[in-house]
Amino acid sequence: MTSKTVSLRTLLGAAVAAGVLSMGAMASHAADKTVTVGITLPLTGADAQSATLIKDGAQLAIDEANERGGVAGYKIETITLDSGTATAGQYDPAQAATNTKKLASNPKVVANIGPQMSGEGKAMSPILSAADLATITPSSTNPDITSPDPKFVSQFRPNKKAVYFRTVTTDAYQGPNMANYFHDVLHVKSVYILDDSGAYGVGIADSFQKQAEKLGMKVMGRDQLNPKEADYTAILTKIKQLNPDAIYYGGVAQAGVKLVKQSYDIVPKMIKGGGDGMYGPEYLKGAGFPAAEGWYATIASPHLIDDSGAKAMVEAFKKKYGTSPDDYAITAYDAAQVIIDAIKRVAESGKEVNRSNIRDAIQTSHVKTLQGEISFDENGDLVNKVISVFQIHKDDSHPLDDVGFQYKYVGVAPASS
Amino acid sequence: MSFQDVLLQQIINGLSLGAMYSLLALGFTMIYGIIELINFAHFNVFMVGSFVALWVLQATGIVGQQTILTGLPLVGVLALAFLGTMLFSGVLGVTIERIALRPLRNVRGTSAMISTIGVSYILFNLILLGVGADTQNYPNPIPRHNWAIGGAVLELREVLVWGVALILMVGLHVFVRRSRLGKAMRATAQDQEAARMMGVEVDRVVVLAFFLGSALAGAGGMIFGLYYNFTSFVIGYSAGLRAFTAAVLGGIGNIMGAMVGGVVIGLIESMSGQFISVRWTDVIIFSILILVLVFKPTGLLGLQAPQKS
Repeated sequence: MTSKTVSLRTLLGAAVAAGVLSMGAMASHAADKTVTVGITLPLTGADAQSATLIKDGAQLAIDEANERGGVAGYKIETITLDSGTATAGQYDPAQAATNTKKLASNPKVVANIGPQMSGEGKAMSPILSAADLATITPSSTNPDITSPDPKFVSQFRPNKKAVYFRTVTTDAYQGPNMANYFHDVLHVKSVYILDDSGAYGVGIADSFQKQAEKLGMKVMGRDQLNPKEADYTAILTKIKQLNPDAIYYGGVAQAGVKLVKQSYDIVPKMIKGGGDGMYGPEYLKGAGFPAAEGWYATIASPHLIDDSGAKAMVEAFKKKYGTSPDDYAITAYDAAQVIIDAIKRVAESGKEVNRSNIRDAIQTSHVKTLQGEISFDENGDLVNKVISVFQIHKDDSHPLDDVGFQYKYVGVAPASS
Repeated sequence: MSFQDVLLQQIINGLSLGAMYSLLALGFTMIYGIIELINFAHFNVFMVGSFVALWVLQATGIVGQQTILTGLPLVGVLALAFLGTMLFSGVLGVTIERIALRPLRNVRGTSAMISTIGVSYILFNLILLGVGADTQNYPNPIPRHNWAIGGAVLELREVLVWGVALILMVGLHVFVRRSRLGKAMRATAQDQEAARMMGVEVDRVVVLAFFLGSALAGAGGMIFGLYYNFTSFVIGYSAGLRAFTAAVLGGIGNIMGAMVGGVVIGLIESMSGQFISVRWTDVIIFSILILVLVFKPTGLLGLQAPQKS
């Protein structure tokens, strides 16, 4: 009997406490008017450096908005969560999912910026969809996540509405357009394709391969690198024997840095290129010159750092963080701009600033950002689709690990007709 | 490249890998041979060794791939780095034994092995926190000299890797076979109790095994750095697992077996990359391991070990 009275008392106490707590929460919400935006990026591991540039780009936009006195009476706070783990040595989809659940269970979080990698995105998107919480990725380019194909819709956004927005375009353009560039500009007739077994790497290599075959390029082979493995000499020796005109690598830095180093030893003269996973300071620091010299890389956005419109942001970034931003720091800045604009429109329309309304506002964005006007289709993809090509070329007059100077912009990759 | 050239080139690649795996496998095998413990901390002693060598090389002013040395300075710098690394790694191994394993020496079951897994994670995270997660560019003062053998290319640094590994392994073999301490090690491996009764200081032998095994792992770490020109806090896992496999394949507890096992694993890795596909490499390596264990449980060179009480 005693146990029953105790449990009743506990229940009553809990009910009262809950009431007080919820009143307290309501009161504080009215008083300081803050909204929270999550930032989820792999800040540990092989991608840490480029992820940090993205984080800084997003944070810069939010800090600037707060310094201007906030957005329609709201101050924006950020929660930064690390999706890289020591065991993975790079981004970890399981950790990204855990982080997303953490954000989804916090009602103050109205939107998220990230992830950097599509492997994380695939784990995050279903959770975001269930929570009706929008994220904007400044760099994840795997097309499946935003595909209108019913198979992918049921997998990545069971609630149908788009929650995975991007301020870059996808590998549905990045891979094929680079294949066009190899074919039209570099006159590559035969190619060997490698990927790093990750969601992003396999996807972009597949789309490159498809277009390459369509253009009549000879695909001499396709293999998969294990990013935890140190030795790629076996496969590179095989490539040397087959002697294709070029190597295309779909993947990120963990395998990429080693590939750059070892391919320099074994096939130094071959044309070598990759996607946006080949773009970042990791290559300049980890592989360095002369190994990295000559590699091609693409990004899934217009090239913006040298753009006059981005000048103020680039200066502010350098002043605050002591290094120049890369293009994905700028797309991250743009992503934050889109969220800030959505918060503003929801708040000014008198609707409640919550995640559903913010998602709807992001969906109907027409925001002027550094890369031009951003608007999304019903899947969350950018309406404008531009792929920029870079080549690593040593510039002694600047720091050798500065992406802004060591990656030379060489033009826009031709779109498929 | 003709087929023969490719084959030769892959043998060269495989032998370089094998030399590294062998050095690492020796540590597993020696410690198992003496106290029947699989030492998972060994993975990351190897990783720490590559960082110690990196710091020694950087301290001598060699940074990036730009500084190239020849002749006496090259030998001097490399000898200094090898000695420093091996000494540090050896002391690290002995410290691990003293702090994390000796108190558990008489505890039955798997607690000592679990303890080594814990130590392994501590080393892993110490480097991650201290150095950061980026891949570190490794200095390489060895000249980029090479010889063409038909279509295959033999690099000077590959010859150096083989040379150093061979010297260390032959040295160990001679030490274990000929010296008094080596005799004590073999005696302890055969029967700890009997060895103790014959006046062998078992604790000293165990410390020695940890020192030698860890020093070789450190040397392996430095060779890894010089050969691949990078290091990172994650390198221990993949190399360690292969080396452990090499030790089991050769016959765990058997020093010659570890050397042979390492070379065999290295060759399997390069050949399967050439003739099948690198994505299947691990499947092939571990399938061969399972086949060997099923049909010859003691490994390629393993002898039936005397049953211990």
